[in-house]
Amino acid sequence: MEMPKQAPCERKHNFDEVATGYTLEMALQESRRCIQCKKRNCVEGCPVNIQIPDFISRMQKNDLAGAARVLKKYTSLPGICGRVCPQESQCESKCTLNKKGVPVAIGRLERFLADWERSQGGAAIPDLTPSTGKKVAVVGSGPSGLTVAADLALLGHQVDMFEALHVAGGVLMYGIPEFRLPKAIVQGEVEYVKKLGVNLKLDYVIGINASMDELLESYDAIFLGTGAGLPWFLDIPGENFNNVYSANEFLTRCNLMKAYRYPEYATPIKMGRRVAVVGGGNVAMDSARCAVRLGAEKVMVIYRRSRAEMPARLEEMENAEEEGVEFHFLVAPSAMIGDGRKNVCGMECIRMELGEPDASGRRRPVPVKGSEYVVETDTVVVSLGTSPNPLIASTTPDLQVSKKGTIVVDENGKSSKARVWAGGDIISGGATVISAMGEARIAATAIHKYLVNIDQ
Amino acid sequence: MFEVVDHEKLTHKVHRLRISAPHVARKAQPGQFVILILDEKGERVPFTISDWDRQAGTVDFVFLEVGRTTERMARLQKGDTLAHFVGPLGKPAEIDKFGHVVCVVSGYGLAGMVPIIKRLKEKGNRITTIMQAADNESLYNQEALKQFSDHLLIGVGGAGGGPATALKPLEDMLKNLDHEPMDRITAMASICLMRFIAEATRNMGIKTTVHMAPVMVDGTGMCGACRLAHADGTQFACVHGPEFDAHKIKAWDTLMARRCTYADDSIMQPGFKCDNCSQW
Repeated sequence: MEMPKQAPCERKHNFDEVATGYTLEMALQESRRCIQCKKRNCVEGCPVNIQIPDFISRMQKNDLAGAARVLKKYTSLPGICGRVCPQESQCESKCTLNKKGVPVAIGRLERFLADWERSQGGAAIPDLTPSTGKKVAVVGSGPSGLTVAADLALLGHQVDMFEALHVAGGVLMYGIPEFRLPKAIVQGEVEYVKKLGVNLKLDYVIGINASMDELLESYDAIFLGTGAGLPWFLDIPGENFNNVYSANEFLTRCNLMKAYRYPEYATPIKMGRRVAVVGGGNVAMDSARCAVRLGAEKVMVIYRRSRAEMPARLEEMENAEEEGVEFHFLVAPSAMIGDGRKNVCGMECIRMELGEPDASGRRRPVPVKGSEYVVETDTVVVSLGTSPNPLIASTTPDLQVSKKGTIVVDENGKSSKARVWAGGDIISGGATVISAMGEARIAATAIHKYLVNIDQ
Repeated sequence: MFEVVDHEKLTHKVHRLRISAPHVARKAQPGQFVILILDEKGERVPFTISDWDRQAGTVDFVFLEVGRTTERMARLQKGDTLAHFVGPLGKPAEIDKFGHVVCVVSGYGLAGMVPIIKRLKEKGNRITTIMQAADNESLYNQEALKQFSDHLLIGVGGAGGGPATALKPLEDMLKNLDHEPMDRITAMASICLMRFIAEATRNMGIKTTVHMAPVMVDGTGMCGACRLAHADGTQFACVHGPEFDAHKIKAWDTLMARRCTYADDSIMQPGFKCDNCSQW
């Protein structure tokens, strides 16, 4: 069943959540579509192996509290997962109903349950395992850090979580916009993790305030979930002109610092009327849709391949198009044009055509000679991707990193350094929230195994 | 929460704050900076550390009252608290035995350079410090600068004096290199002054470093707001700097424009003119 949404003409002017969520009736009706297959293909499709038919069967019996309890056994962050997981390529793609028609809307049911639990005065705290006396430091409080912290706290270990920024949540706070993932939902789930006994230490930079070796003096194990925060640039002339942003800066100002509520919030964001977003991923969609809401007259997404190769979720592209975002395919910027006062006023672009497949398996874009033209724009958001922040690697010489700057780990998330595990974008270089949680789950299992065996 | 331990007004627009932040004090090095947020609706603003006391767990920095956040900071009193305070960020300044080092300071640099000068002096360098201000009333911190410098020169630019006045003592020294060689110049000053210094020494074979203070948001390498074009590729002041080889910085004019991106919103006062820059 479709989820109700704010109409495009309305939502273009606010940062409220686009999809408003199922009503109770809708959720119960949708749950009854699940046929409770014996072979649980949907569970295989879930990176954290949520026993999906189990929570849905309780919904079918109107037992919402029971359903929420089952869900929480497998994820501490259902309000987040239910919103930002690409279910269409995970659990829902494996749903038996998908073979004949429309799969059960598993993600929407997950989201409904999380929101229902919140509306009942917050999530119930499960019985905690007695303390093991073991201490774990979790570095970074994004999707992987929150998952590891919750899993290990539930197993009775003492967890301290360190965050360099002034709020917890990582990319869930600074990257994903309010209209896709309300910050109150993120903070609600952070609070839940804290209630499990996790200590959160904000404004604390590991690698600066304490080195890895200093941390290892006080902790039995460390999990690194520091993400991939270093933005890539195009490396073309004029890229440092005013009003040329990295997507990270544009989104951080807008989401984390709440510049869309300036001057109530003190952080400003300077944006013109014609915004060009360079890139084709979900972050590019988020940037374009923020620009629409900040009042841009025209928002263009400039992508060097064609629609078929775009890495963004189909749903996000559709949302963006409905909100009036224009897509310019097979186009790549070659230079920024300044107005004489170092403000960007245009972008020289070249048309591309698709050649032979490259290392990613997608057809490589090749410039078409003599096809240069100018896109008139006064604000550019560069959204090409990110690489891992080198801070910890550069201050920890015995931690093995790849050429791309990612931390090298084995199949259990164990790094080359004793007692140190890692997961999320810091090992993958950049992927989804749920894949980070999946890696975190594996690392948490390995850390737990290590901790309980120390004394034996 | 981070408590204001002391607040001293140094000139009509310059203040020094002392903040209780033991984990920052414990690791602070010359040339590094902190980022603070006044309250949960506040912006993240960077300030160069001007002193610290590891035992007392305090960190000092100086700020100029120039915009919305710093005007509010000017009203902070002992016992008030800051919502957030993170640091020490950035790489420490390069300290070694260079020989004769000339330090040029203006604005917040009059305080921010002191730990660097002190450490350079301890390493056995001979220090000439040139301090620059728009007028005599804007000078502060002479005693501290004098204490660690072998010579202290003062360049006061009267109304409309501009960079030429500030450069005068340095230009005189550059003409006199045969008698008094210079091994290194390091500047923590307004971006216009640092640009003039970079150009003045570019072809003279004198290693010149500048301490940059661009607009920042996160200050940990995530947003790229503080990026600059550099001979070695795009660099971020927050993680690759803030000290850079002045002759490796490219496109100073773009940097100056970026410094003022948000000027009309938060950095500048109404009626602001560039030749009257608040940092000057």
